[in-house]
Amino acid sequence: MRQAYPVRLGPAEQTLIDQLKAAGADQAAERLSVAGLPTRRFESYHYTDLKTLLRSVPPLGAPANQVDVPALSLPGAFNLTLVNGVASQQGEAPEGVIVGTAHGGVLTTRDDAIVHINSGLVRESLSLSLDSTLDQIVQIAHRIEGEAAHVADAIKVFVADGATATIVETFSGSDAAHVGNHAMYMALGKGAVVTHVTIDLSARATSHFATNEYHLADGARLRTLVIHLGAGLARTHLFPHMGGADAHADVTGLNLVSDGQHADITMETHHAVPHTSSQPLFKSIARGRSKAIVQGKLVVARDAQKTDAKFMHQGLMLSDEAEILSKPELEIYADDVVCGHGSTCGQLDDDSLFYLLSRGIPKAEAETMLVRGFIAELLDPVDDEGLNSALQGIIDGWLLGGK
Amino acid sequence: MADYDIPTLKEEIDRETVDQVLALDVDKYKYGFETLIESDVAPPGLNEDIVRLISAKKDEPEWMLEWRLEAFRRWQTMDEPTWAKVHYPKIDFQAISYYAAPKAFKGPKSLDEVDPELLKTYAKLGIPLKEQAILAGVEGAGEPTGTPFSGNVAVDAVFDSVSVVTTFRAELAKQGIIFCSISEAIREHPELVKQYLGSVVPVTDNYYATLNSAVFTDGSFVFIPKGVRCPMELSTYFRINEKNTGQFERTLIIAEDDTYVSYLEGCTAPTRDENQLHAAVVELVALDNAEIKYSTVQNWYPGDKDGKGGIYNFVTKRGDCRGTNSKISWTQVETGSAITWKYPSCILRGDGSRGEFYSIAISNGYQQVDSGTKMIHLGKNTSSRIISKGIAAGLSDNTYRGQVSAHARAKNARNFTQCDSLLIGDKCGAHTVPYIESRNGTAVFEHEATTSKISDDQLFYCQARGLNEEEAVALIVNGFVRDVLQHLPMEFMVETQKLISISLEGSVG
Repeated sequence: MRQAYPVRLGPAEQTLIDQLKAAGADQAAERLSVAGLPTRRFESYHYTDLKTLLRSVPPLGAPANQVDVPALSLPGAFNLTLVNGVASQQGEAPEGVIVGTAHGGVLTTRDDAIVHINSGLVRESLSLSLDSTLDQIVQIAHRIEGEAAHVADAIKVFVADGATATIVETFSGSDAAHVGNHAMYMALGKGAVVTHVTIDLSARATSHFATNEYHLADGARLRTLVIHLGAGLARTHLFPHMGGADAHADVTGLNLVSDGQHADITMETHHAVPHTSSQPLFKSIARGRSKAIVQGKLVVARDAQKTDAKFMHQGLMLSDEAEILSKPELEIYADDVVCGHGSTCGQLDDDSLFYLLSRGIPKAEAETMLVRGFIAELLDPVDDEGLNSALQGIIDGWLLGGK
Repeated sequence: MADYDIPTLKEEIDRETVDQVLALDVDKYKYGFETLIESDVAPPGLNEDIVRLISAKKDEPEWMLEWRLEAFRRWQTMDEPTWAKVHYPKIDFQAISYYAAPKAFKGPKSLDEVDPELLKTYAKLGIPLKEQAILAGVEGAGEPTGTPFSGNVAVDAVFDSVSVVTTFRAELAKQGIIFCSISEAIREHPELVKQYLGSVVPVTDNYYATLNSAVFTDGSFVFIPKGVRCPMELSTYFRINEKNTGQFERTLIIAEDDTYVSYLEGCTAPTRDENQLHAAVVELVALDNAEIKYSTVQNWYPGDKDGKGGIYNFVTKRGDCRGTNSKISWTQVETGSAITWKYPSCILRGDGSRGEFYSIAISNGYQQVDSGTKMIHLGKNTSSRIISKGIAAGLSDNTYRGQVSAHARAKNARNFTQCDSLLIGDKCGAHTVPYIESRNGTAVFEHEATTSKISDDQLFYCQARGLNEEEAVALIVNGFVRDVLQHLPMEFMVETQKLISISLEGSVG
């Protein structure tokens, strides 16, 4: 078998192994030295071959000065920061929010290199417990500051039965070749309603990795929105677990890539019990010589009858050199379900463009209008006005930012 | 009937559909008989001597032997692929015999000289070679003896490792068409074989293709010269008979400029406890404005109700649209085999070339199907279309795996893919794994995997004419399935008629 051959380890892998060993994570180090970083042969990394994309890893980040300016200005938000993995809170926590820390990583063990590295390196995670209906947005700003650094951090969020919350995570930092490896574990109690927005605003030199795990109990409703637009290499891996009847998840995401960028959203939704539904919707916009990737897998367990799941990915290519790669996947073991997926890609519709041009709108403006229309489906469901306009502002900035 | 219960079903699932699928249950395999005929079988095992033996048996020139040996050496360094969603015990390649031929066999000849036992076998399979010749008025073919068989089809009958007869050769030769077994082609048309063999599926393409290159035995060779439209359907009928053997078919079809050919393939095997390996390679080459239509009804023995026995069908099929405006169309109806691992593909190299793939895959019992297609867009203005229907019943798993890719220079590549699956019962699985790779901004790809996607316009049209919604849906779905089957030549209609009424209502994506 191919696996029997020893894997040739590159400098990135060597550094990671040393860092894991120094952190006492011998098992993770051992695993990485046997298997190496995932290549395209590893299905969930089919289009993001870390062995070739991640050539080097900087030293582990040292604690840095706290910067208390949040990446998004959201009026009235409760702000938390994680600077080089060290958590701090701005102002008093609102009622019903308990902020604390816990030992070790937060993710469920699974066969995934990024997960192993995160769990191996994280010593202390930030934990949040949300007990009631929150009017304030909880904003968590991840920053990697100073010289190029490798930072792993983790957050665990418990949303109590019947609670409602909006959580925004931003990723940013100094302009250096950082590697960020971020983990989020979120448990939604019965009937909990959560909106979770993550937005990568890192510098172009940074490599950004995020793994988000969601566990939904009966009647829980989740909306996620992942936006990639900063890092040169960005990948978010989503694992929604539909574990309670009538749970529903709208898992959405947007890849915005310009020349030289590579962004990947990979989702694996597990419908474990009967009567759950999910509606993953992803969009990618690529310009210049760039790559946008969306992989979405829907797994319906043997007993998960009456599952209703529909995956959709739409790609828009604004240049001839852009690449949009997608792999929707269905793995279905129950017979009384409605599951489907769709994936399309193409350019802006000539007819629509002509319609606008013939009404005197300049070409660039017409194109921007059409692209905004294309994205609207993702932004419209974000109810909070302040958040919605902040996201719209960032996206507009990208649209006007040229190649 | 299998020992699992007839599943309770959703109301929307058409009862008739279920009955049709259950009627195809593995227990009811009707081609499971064995022909008792003395055979010349190579000792089990695989080494260079066996490769030499096969080459010698086929009276091959030196270059062919070298080609085989090189493939064999390469194969020894390769690993079995494990990415497909199929599970089976590791195959012991040393336990299989790589050559088997009816004993009295001296090489393909005229119908009169063929062992009557063999002709009987083919008649039993619904391919009465002799009657066909008579109906077509071949001189000296004698009087009809049995039920007449409709149609005008030239047949190459492959029995275990050898082609026993090829009909209508003289008629076809008048137009310059070469239709013979690949062994004959290697001897008689070495320049064509040298030029094209391995040019679509390279020797080192994948594990099973490399194995096939080393030990392939027989298959068909078709050459259509410039400007000729093949006047009749060409067909090959593959039969595995001998036990403990593998069949390694090799087919090569070359369509020169401005030609058309339709080729049919059928396959069956006797009921046996052991698993038998069928590893085939099929290569199609279409030059400027040529069109090749390749249809398969795959009905290898699927194993019994307990999953014992059955054929492992590991096949590499690929068509190369080399010329401008060339077209290759694959149609397949897959009902047999314990395991199917098969991805008929099109390389759309010529500008304006077109690839099509129509498939109905039905699995039952313990069958495992992992099938699909690849459409590789390389030329400008190329288009492709994929329609796939998977139906899983019993304890089977049915996977569609496909790739559509447009390379950087494939301006205006266009693809439409639709794949639907239906699960009957709660012990089976249906999976869809498409890879959609657009590396060119002008490419337009659409992929959908759901049955609820019947166009609103069509529904509205039907409903405006007085049909209720259900009737309208049934009409559209049935029309659509028939549309896939229409791509099969008439001769396969008998075989596939049972499947026509299958509706896909209540199916999942």
